[in-house]
Amino acid sequence: MSNIQTHEYELLKGMEKRERRILAKVLSLCESDPGKANILLGKLPKSTAHIVGMTGSPGIGKSTLVNAILNEMPERRVAAIAVDPSSPFTGGALLGDRVRMQSHATSENIFIRSFASRGSLGGLSPSIYEACNAFESFGMNYVIVETVGVGQSEVDIVNVADTVVVALSPDNGDEIQMMKAGLMEIADMFVINKFDNPKSQILLSRLRAAMAMGRKEIPIYLTNALTGEGVSDLVKALNERFLTISSNGVLKKRRKNRLIHHAQSTLKRELDFLIEKIDLEEEGIDLDGLRRKLIHALCWNHSESRK
Amino acid sequence: MIKVMIAKPGLDGHDRGAKVVARTLRDAGMEVIYTGIRQTPEQIVQSAIDEDVDILGISILSGAHMKLVPKILELLREKKASVPVFVGGIIPDEDVDKLKEMGVIEVYGPGTSTSEISEQVKSFVEHSDT
Ligand code: B12
Ligand SMILES: Nc1nc2c(ncn2[C@@H]2O[C@H](COP(=O)(O)OP(=O)(O)O)[C@@H](O)[C@H]2O)c(=O)[nH]1
Ligand SMILES: [Mg+2]
Repeated sequence: MSNIQTHEYELLKGMEKRERRILAKVLSLCESDPGKANILLGKLPKSTAHIVGMTGSPGIGKSTLVNAILNEMPERRVAAIAVDPSSPFTGGALLGDRVRMQSHATSENIFIRSFASRGSLGGLSPSIYEACNAFESFGMNYVIVETVGVGQSEVDIVNVADTVVVALSPDNGDEIQMMKAGLMEIADMFVINKFDNPKSQILLSRLRAAMAMGRKEIPIYLTNALTGEGVSDLVKALNERFLTISSNGVLKKRRKNRLIHHAQSTLKRELDFLIEKIDLEEEGIDLDGLRRKLIHALCWNHSESRK
Repeated sequence: MIKVMIAKPGLDGHDRGAKVVARTLRDAGMEVIYTGIRQTPEQIVQSAIDEDVDILGISILSGAHMKLVPKILELLREKKASVPVFVGGIIPDEDVDKLKEMGVIEVYGPGTSTSEISEQVKSFVEHSDT
């Protein structure tokens, strides 16, 4: 027990002193024991970072774009979180987004961390909320979250980020088709990347046409992530948006929504844990019986952990 | 969950072995971070610390291992990171022992079976864990 307390003390002190090595350990704790991480992070002062979600199909150039954004933020403290999928069969994962950002590996103000999606069906890491909080406690100005870019993660990012950037590229011809799956609703900004490809003009006019049918006007930025063209405009827009949403109530609303989803994910995790332990062999257990049992276990578990 | 980093220092582009090993370890159920080619020892060491990996694998086929590996080990020590290191690639027999004396846990040459690599990594991490 005292060992754990020393450990906790060391982590708290290290976070306060902005020790990179300690941040790395805290992020691991977020993954291995998010419950404990939440308690630890609750003891730390928190600053507010602009949390930006970067989403879009694989191969669109998200990681390259994050790297280009990092190039344009030399004086900011920025965290980049890159999520890649875990194999549902082996649990293993190949985390390769970092390759595109390695020029920043030794930058003092930049911290890149790879996450596997693990059990999370949504495709975002189940510890994503804890990880963002850890970076905020560390005093980052920006946290950029790159999603896996398929399935549910595309939409879930809206519950994590203050600003969702939906990236498209001319390589993926069916992009506009995908909009129907809710991308239009969650996008705060669109980026057409690989603008060096002439076909992106077609994509741009299609996107404008699709938007004309919708209710909201979403700004579109055109980038070449490899050369950095257009990226400074995007970064300028991100900075401006953060000022705007900080004063017009949108940030508050997003954070409230995020808190709700964080609480949901925490409870779901606890429930999953209890379900694994619960005795289902009991004679005649029905829906209501199981429900009562789980609620009881949840409450008991809660009062125990508070001791 | 075992978290590994596979890194490729040096100026050459021989990345096949590194990629084969990265995929092998992923298929064995590990989370594998690949750094890409042409990494400096500084980049590799900082990345391994930031990602808080359990173990660091280095692939070198260029012949520069006696320069690169000691530098990486030195930086790890300097930064107080106790990450075990293993090496693969084209390493002459006489250098294998020298690298191990410096603290490298194992060296794997061409033709090593991939299942041997994943089994040894697994058992090494599991035993050093406690
Ligand atoms: C294919 C190859 C190339 C390809 C590389 C393609 C690529 N993207 O990888 C190309 C044609 C581009 C190439 C170019 C050159 N090559 Co070349 N190349 C080879 C060759 C024939 C095979 C390497 C290979 O891919 N093997 C297949 C993989 C799967 O095996 P592996 O890398 O050995 O990996 C296994 C193990 O070593 C181990 N392993 C490897 N890494 C790691 C890491 C970890 C953590 C672990 C646990 C295990 C592990 O596990 C793997 C699975 O068993 C070797 C000779 C040889 N027989 O090895 C020469 C060789 C490596 N090349 C050599 C040279 C000199 C060159 C050139 C400089 C030639 C030139 N003058 O232009 C250029 C360099 C270009 C550059 N800028 O990089 C020399 C290096 C000499 C030296 N070490 O002193 C070699 C040894 C040939 C020779 N005998 O002279 N090459
Ligand atoms: N031509 C061109 N290629 C790009 C651009 N951005 C990224 N790429 C390339 O697209 C490929 C996928 O990029 P990556 O960043 O890994 O995509 P992600 O899967 O969305 O993260 C890589 O080969 C990049 O070099 C761009 O603006 N123009
Ligand atoms: Mg990527």
